[in-house]
Amino acid sequence: MKTSMHLFPIIELGSLRFDLSTVIAIVVTTIICMVLGVLATRKLSVANPTKMQNFMEWALEFMHSTVASTMPLEKAKKFVTFGLTLIMFIFVSNLLGLPFGIVFDAHEEVKLGNLVIISQELLDSKGGHAHVAFWKSPTADISVTAGLALLVFFVIHILGLTTNTKHYIKHYFQPFWIMFPLNIIETIAKPVTLALRLYANIFAGEVLISTILMLNWVGVPLLAVWQGFSIFVGAIQAFLFTVLTMVYIAQATVHEEHDH
Amino acid sequence: MELLAAAIVIGLGAIGAGFGNGMIVSKTVEGIARQPEAKSALQTTMFIGVGIVEVVPIIGVVLGFLIFFGQ
Repeated sequence: MKTSMHLFPIIELGSLRFDLSTVIAIVVTTIICMVLGVLATRKLSVANPTKMQNFMEWALEFMHSTVASTMPLEKAKKFVTFGLTLIMFIFVSNLLGLPFGIVFDAHEEVKLGNLVIISQELLDSKGGHAHVAFWKSPTADISVTAGLALLVFFVIHILGLTTNTKHYIKHYFQPFWIMFPLNIIETIAKPVTLALRLYANIFAGEVLISTILMLNWVGVPLLAVWQGFSIFVGAIQAFLFTVLTMVYIAQATVHEEHDH
Repeated sequence: MELLAAAIVIGLGAIGAGFGNGMIVSKTVEGIARQPEAKSALQTTMFIGVGIVEVVPIIGVVLGFLIFFGQ
């Protein structure tokens, strides 16, 4: 039962630890997103659009209406491409860990040139041999989702400070100045929950896949059902991350004219 | 002992998620029944609400996995 969690190949450069499977998966995600973008915009035409162009236009329309539901229309245009980038990247990376996995058995130390990937002490603590996974969804790693959340955090606060300074600073002390600590906690909780929500959903899905795989042939229909549900969850989580980003941006940048 | 801890975390999280999601979806269904034209807007808000409510139970699930498999 205890062997369901794979080891991940972590290399240490200096004092930073890089997870090789995450790096590989992020590169693959980026390549897929770029290929999708290029394929959708080849032979652009108004009268005779290709299927990919139709699909991308639908996605753009959907994103525009989503952003417009959170902030007034003139401001919405600026954030549509940002939202589309976020939702494409997160959706593609959520789907990446579903079709297959690459797992090696390690009986001795694994090295890449001179870098030690799986050290002998780690192998000994697992009883002599371990399974090393070289492929997973990048968003199943807290560092990727925390990076996305940090990016969004900077976008929100820098935009709020530069375009809406007075109202942005005032909102920390509203409705009563005594609520300043609560507002600070809210400001910290927003990116933390963004990161943890995405990480926990995708990570739990992957652990359940590897648990179902332990049932061998009995688990095949269950695996099919669970993978279908995981596609749905991946889409919902990508949409949710983007919508919440747009809501937070709207909260920080829109100058509200009504009284509190 | 760790098995018990993991089971309690996941079980209580599931109760919270079940109650919360049930309330959200029931109100959404009521709203759609009252005004079918608003269906897509209500559905979008429902998904956003479910995502927000399920954060803490899902974090509990991950903690349960870590406790269970990290022995």
